[in-house]
Amino acid sequence: MLPHSIHPTRRTLMAAGAALALPAMAQQQSKAPLPNVLAPNPAELRKALADFTQGRKAQAEGLDLDVPMLADNPSGVPVKVKVMLPINAQDWCEEIIVLAELNPAPLACRLQFTAAAGTAEAAVRVRLTQSQTVHALARMKSGKLLAASQAVTVSASGCGM
Amino acid sequence: MSTKPPRVWVSNATPQKGDLLRVRAQIEHVMESGLRSDEAGKIRPRNVVTRFEARLGPALLFAWEPGISVAQNPYVEFTFLARESGELQLHWKDDAGQTFSASKSISVA
Repeated sequence: MLPHSIHPTRRTLMAAGAALALPAMAQQQSKAPLPNVLAPNPAELRKALADFTQGRKAQAEGLDLDVPMLADNPSGVPVKVKVMLPINAQDWCEEIIVLAELNPAPLACRLQFTAAAGTAEAAVRVRLTQSQTVHALARMKSGKLLAASQAVTVSASGCGM
Repeated sequence: MSTKPPRVWVSNATPQKGDLLRVRAQIEHVMESGLRSDEAGKIRPRNVVTRFEARLGPALLFAWEPGISVAQNPYVEFTFLARESGELQLHWKDDAGQTFSASKSISVA
């Protein structure tokens, strides 16, 4: 049998490991904390909402929002929106906005439709920084506002930005 | 930057009048959000696609204004009703001023 001093027991290995790990941890703490660029931006969200709704109420029916409840790839979450109201030459959907409420840039995109298209349906992929609710708001030519929302749970590390 | 042409799919290039046509389009684009930094700690400048337009002849069918929350290699799908024949023109523009375009001819029976 080897003497205790050169035979590495579990205890000596643990001590050595702790000694190795400590300087690295200390170094991390001494660095100035980075500004969290991925923090939610509630002011921007309120502004985007207010700009779109102009203070009017949106109705909960008529807009179909399809987002997976569990997003296994947060850097490409499929979002599908569709206006279910009749679309004709008198009334069509002018614009839909997609909002990711806890993203640093909550206004994900604007989708603009015309009477020439005759439909209002679109699908895009967004990146989500964390689990949150995705909202969609639509404005019809007649001024009617439609809203829909869906909670999304982001799996893995939700950092797609 | 990217050299690959846009990928475009149209559900039916020779539809009957009034049919619903579905279009899927994707380009290769980094969609740099302006929030990331490189190895030296310098912020990578923002460069995202800011506008996408789909026109049938002169008529605008659909426009899309992505922000930085839109995924890399932006994918978009939209629909329209086949009312007349023409050239479906797709056009992308990014922050750096680069443009991408593609077109598909639609002939309504």
